[in-house]
Amino acid sequence: MSTILNLDEDHRDCLQEITNVAMGQAGDRLARLLDTFVILSIPHIEVMASSDIAMALQSIDDTSSVSGVCQGFIGGGISGEAMLLFNDTSFADLATLMKYDDELDAQAECELLMDTTNVLFGACLKGIADQINMEFSYGPPMVLGQHMKLTDLFRSHSNTWDHALVTEINYQLEGYNVNCDMLIVMTDASMEILLKKIDYLIN
Amino acid sequence: MNKETHEILNEFHWLMAALQNIDVGLVILNTNFEIELWNGFMQNHSARMPDEVLGKSVFELFPELPESWFRRKADTVFVLKNSAFTTWEQRPYLFRFNNYRPITSMADFMYQNSTIIPLTNVRGEVEHICLIVYDVTEVAVNRLQLQEVNTQLQQLSRTDGLTGLLNRASWEAELVHEYQRYQRHQHLCSMLMFDIDHFKRVNDNYGHPTGDEVIRQTAACLKENIREIDIAGRYGGEEFAVILPDTHAEGALVVAERLRKKIDTLSVHYDGLYVEYSISLGIAELNPTMNEPTAWIECADKALYQAKHNGRNNSVIYTEK
Repeated sequence: MSTILNLDEDHRDCLQEITNVAMGQAGDRLARLLDTFVILSIPHIEVMASSDIAMALQSIDDTSSVSGVCQGFIGGGISGEAMLLFNDTSFADLATLMKYDDELDAQAECELLMDTTNVLFGACLKGIADQINMEFSYGPPMVLGQHMKLTDLFRSHSNTWDHALVTEINYQLEGYNVNCDMLIVMTDASMEILLKKIDYLIN
Repeated sequence: MNKETHEILNEFHWLMAALQNIDVGLVILNTNFEIELWNGFMQNHSARMPDEVLGKSVFELFPELPESWFRRKADTVFVLKNSAFTTWEQRPYLFRFNNYRPITSMADFMYQNSTIIPLTNVRGEVEHICLIVYDVTEVAVNRLQLQEVNTQLQQLSRTDGLTGLLNRASWEAELVHEYQRYQRHQHLCSMLMFDIDHFKRVNDNYGHPTGDEVIRQTAACLKENIREIDIAGRYGGEEFAVILPDTHAEGALVVAERLRKKIDTLSVHYDGLYVEYSISLGIAELNPTMNEPTAWIECADKALYQAKHNGRNNSVIYTEK
């Protein structure tokens, strides 16, 4: 039986709270690294079918062109993958932000995407891991596609799962035209341990 | 030494042996980027022993490692206490290690991926980072070869084997593309269609290999007389088609006449025989009445037909009657 489909309100609220706190910490760390104020949206947590993710994205227009990067994490029985979607208009700003002085050819863009993903996602997941008292190891970021329509980006990958717990967080950086959407996707395989950890926090 | 200390030392000893002998590179750096650990993998591939590198700046020892790039990566590790990654696609290597296997090695140097992980002290602060270097030469070389073969295949599937010009299918795809571009921007654009006069006679009198040589030399002459942006294809057996962007009909006529005169003076030498031949050309400038790409071809074809009708070895611009 799917644990995800039967996720109750208490667990969801608690997860929401954990993520909120993590984002606060992430914002602080990122601000120190990037010397700019980071505006993070309130995380939006939802159980979604794999086919619904593209449609459900709240902060990105599904007709605009985006670049997507994925990064997996695993540790102590919990695993998942994050996907970061970057608005394509934001490359020059992203480069300034990450202190890239090199010329932005396709390869440099790719590296920029991977580095930014690693930084934004790492900062966020670290906050979550600390609260549930775990340590995750991360895989290297992988560029899923550059300058594609959102729907094409999702179409190119077939999924082996039906439903997943999806956390959506939108990043905006003060003074920069950088708009980035982060999704953390976890499947049923992680639920048992995750819920146990949450129960421990609730009780 | 009491028993407990002895056990701890023993454990430490085999732990160090594992780090020393593990088949990936391990380097520990402090906040000044001075090397504090240099394991066996690094010693063996760099031919530098720990006493040569310990306490020294990694950037001074290895100038191939770009300082600002690496610092930027390492900064995120120090500040965020978060791993950072480099891949061979971004930068083929961090340390230039030459190929060491004379028989089976596939590249001149070792392609490397790396992970930079934070090492915290007892107070939870990151004072050191650990650089893990992976040898990914085989993966990288295989991937690069695959990409190269794919590019070649793509090239092969697009071009005509005899002439090296675009084959009909890919020329037509370019035609559609150019036509769509015209619909959006209404820029000038002309098409040139030509074929070899009495080609059947060349084949019949001199044989097919000579006919092939005539086609090959015609294509070579065509390539020499058009610009980089012009799109030339072999449309049929002895028929050729060229799209000339940003060119009006009169401009295309200049190209056509230059080509026609060149071919007229050309003498193809094959198998001890000399073949002289001519071409007839039709030109059509794209205009709004052509409501699909094929209509454009038809117009150029009509002009070509007119050139044939006029007695061959001449160029005709299509006009609506």
